[in-house]
Amino acid sequence: MRLVACDTEALALGLMPGTALADARARVPDLAVFGHDPAADMALLGWLADGCERYTPACMLDPPQSLLLDITGCEHLFGDETRLARDVRARLQRHGLSCRIALGATPDSAQAKAKYAARAISDLPVEALDGGDKVHKALRRAGLRSIGDLAIRPRKPLAARFGKSVVIRLARLLEEEDPRIIPRRSLPIIHVAQNFAEPISRTNDVLATIEMLAGRAALQLQERGQGGRRFEVRLFRSDGHVALLAIDTGGPTRDAALLMRLIRERIDALADPLDPGFGYDLIALEVPLAEVLANVQVGLETRVDTDAATAALIDRLSVRLGAQRVRQFHARQSHIPERAALERAAQSDAPKADWPKSAPDEPAMRPFRLFETPQPIEVTAGFPEGEPRSFRWRRHVHRVARVEGPERISPEWWRHARGYEPGNGSLTRDYYRVEDNEGRRFWLFRRGLYDEMERPLWYLHGIFA
Amino acid sequence: MNIRRDPLGTVFPSGKGTWKQYQPDGQLSLLSVGAPDVDTRLRGGIARHGLHEFFGAAKTDSHAAAAFALLLALRLPESDAGIFWITGDRERQASGRLYPHGLSAMGGDPSKMLLVQTADLQAALRAAADSIRSKAAAAVILEAHGNARLIDLTSTRRLALAAAEAGVLTLLVRGDAVPMPSAASTRWQVKSAPSVPLPGNAPGFATFDISLLRHRGGTAPFAAKVTWDHATRSFYDAPLSGGLSAIVTGGEVDPASRQRA
Repeated sequence: MRLVACDTEALALGLMPGTALADARARVPDLAVFGHDPAADMALLGWLADGCERYTPACMLDPPQSLLLDITGCEHLFGDETRLARDVRARLQRHGLSCRIALGATPDSAQAKAKYAARAISDLPVEALDGGDKVHKALRRAGLRSIGDLAIRPRKPLAARFGKSVVIRLARLLEEEDPRIIPRRSLPIIHVAQNFAEPISRTNDVLATIEMLAGRAALQLQERGQGGRRFEVRLFRSDGHVALLAIDTGGPTRDAALLMRLIRERIDALADPLDPGFGYDLIALEVPLAEVLANVQVGLETRVDTDAATAALIDRLSVRLGAQRVRQFHARQSHIPERAALERAAQSDAPKADWPKSAPDEPAMRPFRLFETPQPIEVTAGFPEGEPRSFRWRRHVHRVARVEGPERISPEWWRHARGYEPGNGSLTRDYYRVEDNEGRRFWLFRRGLYDEMERPLWYLHGIFA
Repeated sequence: MNIRRDPLGTVFPSGKGTWKQYQPDGQLSLLSVGAPDVDTRLRGGIARHGLHEFFGAAKTDSHAAAAFALLLALRLPESDAGIFWITGDRERQASGRLYPHGLSAMGGDPSKMLLVQTADLQAALRAAADSIRSKAAAAVILEAHGNARLIDLTSTRRLALAAAEAGVLTLLVRGDAVPMPSAASTRWQVKSAPSVPLPGNAPGFATFDISLLRHRGGTAPFAAKVTWDHATRSFYDAPLSGGLSAIVTGGEVDPASRQRA
C-alpha cells in the first residue's frame, strides 16, 4: 500500500505521495491514515465547482484536485482578479480547505503555475510540459531545466527533436495560444444574477429576488423574440452550498408570473425543503433552452384563452406531480388493442390523431376501459370453439345473456424475426362482446385457437359502458 | 353595504360566491341529460357549474358510475376545452385505464382528454381544484374509490365553490364508496342495465339504471333507465322491453325491440 495524497504537515515531515505505507509508518509512527476514496474526492470537486459558478458559468473539473475557471469578463464584478482570488481563498478556508490559486492567460499556464507553485512561467520546470518521462529526461540531459530555457530557443529544432506535442504545449504554457476550457455545462442562453451584501434567508425575500430576475430574463427573452423551455435557479448559500431549482415548460414562455407559480410549485414539491442555513448571498437564474416565441396580441374580449390556460395547468401539474403523471392519448397504427393507443406526457407534444368513430347504428365495439394486464377468468363455453356461457371474475360468477363474436385478432407476425409461421410465435385472440344477465358489458378473449394449443386460456380485457 | 337585488326582489349579500350557491337551480345554467323523462323530473337538467357525485349500486358497478359520469361530460357542447380525468394510482390499478378507441366510439374526442394520475387522494383533490380554477377544462372528473376520509363536507364544498365560480362541470366518481355527507348538488346511484339486444342477440347500446339519491335543489329522488346514443351524444329513455327481453335467449328476437327507441 502506498500513500496517494498527503496534507501540508505530512509533506513538511518529508512524506511524499507514492511512499510505501510501511516506510511512512516507520518514519512517523503516529501517522493518521485514511482509505483512498476517489468517488468522494470527485464528489467534493463537483460540489466545489457548483460553488465556483458564483464567479463564472464556465467552470471545468481537472481531477484529481484542481478546478479551472474561465473568468474572462467576470473579474470586474469583484473589483479585479486578485480580489476575486482572495474571495475564493477566503471561502475555501471557511471549509478548512487550503488552495493554491494561479492566474494565467491560458488554462495551461494557470494550471502549471498552480501545480508547481511558480510565480512566473519561465520558472516552471520542464515537467510542466507533461510530455512523458522520456521527454523530460531527454530535455534535462540536454541542459534544459526550465520553461524559460526552452522559450528562448527556436521551436523548429525542438519539434524535430522532442515531438510536435511538446511545442504545442509550450506555446500554450507561454500564453501564445489559447485553447479555452470546455465548461462542465454548456453556457446558458441567458444568465441573470443578483448579489447580496448581506445574505438573505427568508423565503419571501428569495422568491421576490427570483421574481425580479425572472422579469429581467423575460425582458432579454423578449428582445431576442424567444421563450424559455427550461429555467434553472441556483441559490448560492454563503457557506458554499448550491441549491438548484429547475423547471421545464411544455411550450416556450417568458411570462414571469407563470414562472413564479411554477417555481412555487417546485419549492412545494421538494422532498427536503430548502435550507437557507446562514442565508443566500447570490441567486442566479439561467435559461439553458429557449425557442422562438412571437409576440401575441391579447384578445380584447374577456374570453379565457383555453389553450394558454391548459398549457399553464399542464406545466403546473407536471412540475408538481412529475411530467409522466400528466398525459394525453396518442394513436398508433396497430390492431392489437393494447398497442393501438398509448399515453404520453402532455408536456412533450400535442396529440393529433383521427380516432375511429363508430357507425350511428352500431354500439361501441371497443371498451371504454382496458386493463393493463388482461384479467384471467374461468369460462364455461358451450363447445370448445364456442362462445362463453358463463365466466368467473374476481370471485363473482357472471351468466352471459348476450354475446357477439368472435372478432379474431391475429398476432403481428411481421414483427417476428422469422415472419409468419403457422402454429408458432404469438397466439391468435378471439374477442367476444358479452353482456351478463345483470346488464354489465365486458370484452373477453380466448388466447389461442384450439389448433394452436391444447387448452387456450380466457381473459377479460376491458369493460364497456 | 353592497347588496344585490334580483328581479324577484330577493336580497342576497354579494359576498364572494356565497349567494350563488343558495340561489334556486332555475337561475343556473343547466346541463340536460337528454332523456325527456329525466329532464322533466330534474326541471331541465343538472347544474352545469356544479359538483355531482356518482356511486355504483354494487361493488362491480363502479365502472358503470365512471362511464355514466364520462358520458354526462360528453353531453357538454363541443368546444376547445377538454375533459380532465384525475385518478389515483390505486383506482387505476383496480379499474384499468381509459381506452381512447372506446371513448371515440362513444362520441368523445380522445385528443381532448387530459389524464392526471396522482400518488394519493390528497394530491388528486388538489389537482382537481387547480384544474377547475384554471378554467382550462370544460369538465373535471375525479375518480376516488373506496371510503376515503379526505372526501368530506369540507373538501367537497371547496370543489363545489370552485366549480360554481369557474363555471366548470365537476364530477366525482365514488365507485364502491358508501355515500357520506357532501356538498354536491346531486348524488346519483348508477348500475349497468341490460341493453336492448341487437339482431343475433348481440349486446346493444350502453344502458344504465340511474337513481337520484339526493338533490340540493329539492327535487324528489327518482329512478330511471337511460340509454346512450353516441351519434347525438345524448341519453334517451330506455324502453321497458329492454328489461323484459333479457328473458329471450337464442336467435329469436322480438322485432319491436330490434328498433331503437
